Formats: sequence, C-alpha cells, structure tokens
Amino acid sequence: MIKVLVVDDEENIRLLYREELEDEGYAVTVAANAKEALEAFRSTPFDMIVLDIKMPDMDGIELLRIIKEENKDIPVVLCSAYGRYKQDFRIWACDAYVVKSADLDELKLTLRQVLSA
Amino acid sequence: MIDDHLGLEILKEISRIASSTLDLDETLEQIIQIIKNKMRIDAIYLAEDPGNLLHLRASSGLPLEASGQVKLELGKGVTGWVAEHKCSLALPEAMQDPRFVLFPEIQEERFSSMLSVPILFDEACIGVINVHTLDRREFSAVETAIVETIANQVAGALRNALLFHNSQRLLKEQTILYDIGLAVQTTLKLEHGLWVILSGITMGEAGGFNRAMLFLLNEKNHSLDGEMGIGPDSEEDASRIWAEWGKKKVDLLNWIMVEADKDEFKHSRFNRFVRSLSFPLVGEGNILTETALQKQPFVVSDPHQHPLVTREFIETLGVEAFATVPLIAHETALGVILVDNRYNHRPITQEQLRLLTRFTTHASWVIENTRLFGKLLDTNQELLSTKEQLIEKEKLAALGVVSAELAHEIRNPLVSIGGFARRLEDKLRKVSAEHTGIEDLEKATEYSNIIHTEVNRLEQLLKNILLYSQAGALNLEEASINEIIDETISIFKSGLYGKNINVNYEKCDNLPALFIDRQKIRQVFINLFYNAMDSMPEGGELSIETRTQPESHPPDHVTVRIEDTGGGIPQEAFQNIFNPFFTTKSSGTGLGLSICRKIVESHGGTIHIVNNIGSGITIFIHLPLQKPADYYKN
Repeated sequence: MIKVLVVDDEENIRLLYREELEDEGYAVTVAANAKEALEAFRSTPFDMIVLDIKMPDMDGIELLRIIKEENKDIPVVLCSAYGRYKQDFRIWACDAYVVKSADLDELKLTLRQVLSA
Repeated sequence: MIDDHLGLEILKEISRIASSTLDLDETLEQIIQIIKNKMRIDAIYLAEDPGNLLHLRASSGLPLEASGQVKLELGKGVTGWVAEHKCSLALPEAMQDPRFVLFPEIQEERFSSMLSVPILFDEACIGVINVHTLDRREFSAVETAIVETIANQVAGALRNALLFHNSQRLLKEQTILYDIGLAVQTTLKLEHGLWVILSGITMGEAGGFNRAMLFLLNEKNHSLDGEMGIGPDSEEDASRIWAEWGKKKVDLLNWIMVEADKDEFKHSRFNRFVRSLSFPLVGEGNILTETALQKQPFVVSDPHQHPLVTREFIETLGVEAFATVPLIAHETALGVILVDNRYNHRPITQEQLRLLTRFTTHASWVIENTRLFGKLLDTNQELLSTKEQLIEKEKLAALGVVSAELAHEIRNPLVSIGGFARRLEDKLRKVSAEHTGIEDLEKATEYSNIIHTEVNRLEQLLKNILLYSQAGALNLEEASINEIIDETISIFKSGLYGKNINVNYEKCDNLPALFIDRQKIRQVFINLFYNAMDSMPEGGELSIETRTQPESHPPDHVTVRIEDTGGGIPQEAFQNIFNPFFTTKSSGTGLGLSICRKIVESHGGTIHIVNNIGSGITIFIHLPLQKPADYYKN
C-alpha cells in the first residue's frame, strides 16, 4: 500500500484528507505540525508527503526544504489555501502545488500523476 | 527772376518757418505759400523715404489735381535725374534734353526753360524743387545758387518737421500699443484679447486697416481655421462705424475694455463669415497657408497677378489689395492675420505694415499665453484626477489585501464543510441504495447536495476575489493576442452555439507579438465573453476585432474590440460597471469587469466601454506594444 503523510494544522482538514485518501486506497498518516511531521518522516519511510503551507510553528515551505535536504527523492505535494505561493521561488523543490478546494478530485489526480512520474 | 534781395527775403521767411512750427504739413504749407508769393517756383517734390518715389507735394502754376497724384520714379525724367544724381540742372531748352520725359498730368510742355535743384540732407535727396519759365532763358550761376540755398533751408525745415512728425508718430504708436497691451493683459478670455488686437489693427488711430481676419492653426485637422473677423459688414456699415469712431474722443483703453465686454463683435456677419472659413495646410497651398508655413508676411497689391492667390480666394474673401502676416511664438506658426482696405481702397503703406507686425507680435503672445494657461489648467486637472485615482487605487488595494486575507481564512473551513458534505452525500447515497423508500434519507441526501453546491459557489467567489487582489503580479511572456482569443472562443464555442450567438472574428493578420501574461489576458476574455453571453439569452451577434493602432506605422498599441447585441446597460448602472462587487446579474460576484480592468491596466493598457442603449455594448481594450514598465509586475 502506498504510504502518504498528510501535514495540516487543521483537525477537520486532516480528517477529511485521511478519509478521502484512504478511500482511494492510500495508507494515510497525519501530522498536525512540523514537529510531528518530522518525527513521522524520520521514523517511517513514506511514498509521498502532502504539506499545508501556512502552519503556526514552521511553515510548509521550510518543512519542504528540510525534508528535501534529508531525502530529495521523496515526492512532496504542497497544498494550500493560498494561490500566491505558486510564484514563490522557494517552492521549486516541490513536486506539485494544489490550491485547496472542497472538491478533492484535483488533489487526488495530482497525487496519482506525481507517483507515476 | 530771383535777385539777391528776393533771395535773402525768401531765406529769411523760410528760417522763420523753421523756428515757428514743427508740424510737417504746416511747414510744407507755409513753404508753398512763400514759393507762390515770392517766386515763380512751380513744383516741389518730396520723397517720403530717401531713394523712394518722389511725390509732388506742392506746386504753383501747375494743375491743382496734379498735387498728391504725381509720383516720379528715381532717375525718371529731369526731376528724377536730379534726385538720383543729387545735383542741380539748368535747362534753357528743357524739352530738347534727352532726360526730359513728358508727364501729361503736369502739363510741363507749356514751359520752355527749367531749373531743377535737389533738396539734400545728409547726402540723401529728400526732394526736388523745380522752377519753370514760359519764355526761353538762361539761368545764371547766382540764380542757381540762390535756389540751392533755398533748397538747403527747405531741407533743414523739412528735416526737422519730418523728425518731429516721426517721433510724434512713434509716441502715438507706443501709446496705442501700450494701451492695447494693457487691455490684453487685463482681459482673461482669449477671444477678448484677440478682439482687442484686431480692433487695434482696424482702428483709425492705430493700424487703420478696414478689415482684419484672424486664422488659427488647427493641428488636429492640419488646417487654418477662421477664428475672428473684425470689420464692417458692408460699405454703408463702414462709413457709419468710421463716423462713430471719429466722434469718439474717449480714452482708448477704457473704450476697448467696455466694448470687449459687450461681446457684440461675435454676432457680426463678418465675424461669422470668417469663422466659417477653413483652409487645409496640405495639398495645394494658398497665400494664407504659405504665410503660416513659410512664416513670412506677404503684401499683395494686385491679387489677380499673384501666383498664390486664386480667383476663388479673391471672390470668397472679397479682397483687392491685402497683406498677410504670420503669428509666431517660440518659432512656431500659430496662425495668420489677413488685412485689407476693402472700403476706402487706400493702398497699404509701409507704416501700416510696420504697425501690423507689432500688433501680430502681441496677438501671438496672447494666443501662446492662453494656450500655455490652458495647458496648465489641463495639467492641474490631470493631477487632481490622478490624485483621486491614486486614492481610489489605494482604497482598492487595501480592500484587496483585506479580502485576500479574509478569503484565505474562509477557505479552510469551506474545504471542510464542502468536503464533508460531499462525503456525507456519498455515504447517504450508498445507504439509500441499500434501503430504498426511506423518505428522510432521500431528503438528507438532497440537503447535503445543497450544502456542497453552495460551497462550490462560495469557493468560486473566493477565487474571483483572490484573482482580483492578485491581478497585479504578472508572468510576462511573448504571446499572440489572436491565439489567446482563438483559444477563448473555442472554450465558449458550444455555449455560444447553444445560445444561438454568432461569433464574428475579424483578425488582423500581421499583429505584432505582445509581452503579456497569457493566463491573465485569457481571464479577461473569458470574463468578457461570459458577460456578452449572459447579455444575449435570446441569441445575437458577438463581434471581435483585433488591429494595431495607430494604423499608420509604427503602431504603439494593439486594440481588441468586442461588441455584443445584448441591448446595452441602463445608464445609472453603467456608471458603476467597473466598481468591484457591482453587478446587474442575479448571480455573479460583480468582480468580472473590475478584474478585467485591473489586469489590462497592470499591463499598462486601457479598457473602455461604449454603451449603446438599445443595441449593445462595445468594449475596447488597448494593450501597449512595448513591455510594461517593471513596476507593473508587482
């Protein structure tokens, strides 16, 4: 089973993503902040990470940098309510960027594309 | 004829005149009286300017009508020869002399002998005194010397009177120019200033022309357009006006100020006639346009012989002899003044022309000052409106920042609400598939569907708000506007077809590539096409056209015209169409057009809408060909 780590500071979003992605057949682990995320990332090998950008302790962009420094091969998908980070040069290392929506079809499609790339 | 005694007496009389009066006409008159009474001098010729024509100014024993009429060219006839060679000539047999030319109006053929003496001053001949005798006789050296001495005295007296006359004339001229200058400065309206100057040109005591017409350069139409005409409407009118002016012994300045305020001049037939005239600057030139183009004055004494004057021109303006002077400021021609003496038929004198030039200098500066003042007002107005626009922009920017933050804060809970509503709906559908016929279950499915549909709508609204607040950030690349329109049309193809809307696309084939943000410009067309489609629910015509502007080379921007047949927008709504959150649609965010404007303006372009109530609206988008300035990018 494909193992996905979902990092988001909002509990409801975590729940929604977990359920939706599990329905798609992924094994989902969730983390509520950067600290939890790094602990999970360093203890378990994941096939893919979905990162929220705006989080209280460390933002997803910084987390992306740390993750890619430690394992540049792991695909990371940024998923944010903000569209404007698309133009931020610091996200160059991410594999895809999805703007959050209640319709999760785009996210699901993106995950499939990133995995098959 | 003249002995020593008479000679002395004449000299005494002439010196008495010289010390008693300085008036030119009076001096001349008195000299003539002495000549008539004391000696048989027959004619005295004077040249107004040395080296110019000699006018017969006084005579005795010659026909009366000859005085003032006879003009001799330098070197022509005995008198002309004397003036040219500046030496006396005594001819016992005048008519036998090869230099003799018969002027019938003087009736010189009655005389046998003739003594002609130049009136010299400072090496210049300012006139000639002629003595004729009926009987043939020799003139003695003494006689010649006496007449020469008289001529010298006459020269002195005349010279003094001439100098005085000139200085008086200059003084008067200065006073008039001063008065007119003051009047011009006091009036604020351009037309009043111009009226004062044209009046000066035509007033008897100043320029003295019968009519003056002012033409101004129209840069837009490349033509000389009639601006003002001062002068009587007709011959009868002319004599009435001059009679009135003659009676008026009022202060010129006061008179000007009072008359200018009456604005009566505007209604004169002549003024209206001049204002109806226009002469193109390109193509076949005429004397007016040549005056402006060459920045040269012209004096036309016989218009029928002048190469730049057509018969049509003569007939239209009703001119005989006339003069044209350019109005020049900062070495640029602003217009032309044409003057003539249509009613009293007086020839145009050098003095009139000199004064005219001074008036035109005044007129040029009046026009130039008004132009600059107008420019200043415009610039001021522009600054004010720019300031207002800036404030408006700042407000909008602030609104943008607030709404962007708000939108993000709302988006996360919306994702949860919408996402779970979908899940709920899915789950309910599964349950109701297993347990059919449970009414509440079906209702619950429907309700959750409503929730997620409404969330979709809210998300769309947020997307628009975010788009609006982020329209400034451009991702510029070289792109073809035709291609973007083609793409947009193909997106809309089925929708337009379904609504029975015909698309008519006039594509300019050699359109240069633009530096634009492809996605954002496409968004503009998407929004505009949506609007057009919504305005034509019963079908209609959507016309799109691309072209370069100006169409002559090199173009500086590309224009896209989008026209629908949706009936236009009610006037009160039209004023608000670019305002964010304003909409005439029952559903819609009211951001479509404001996003369009923001995107186009962030490209350094402009968008404007022509509202044809009853038929439809036409939208013009102008995008500059050069790359937008860097500051537009953020």
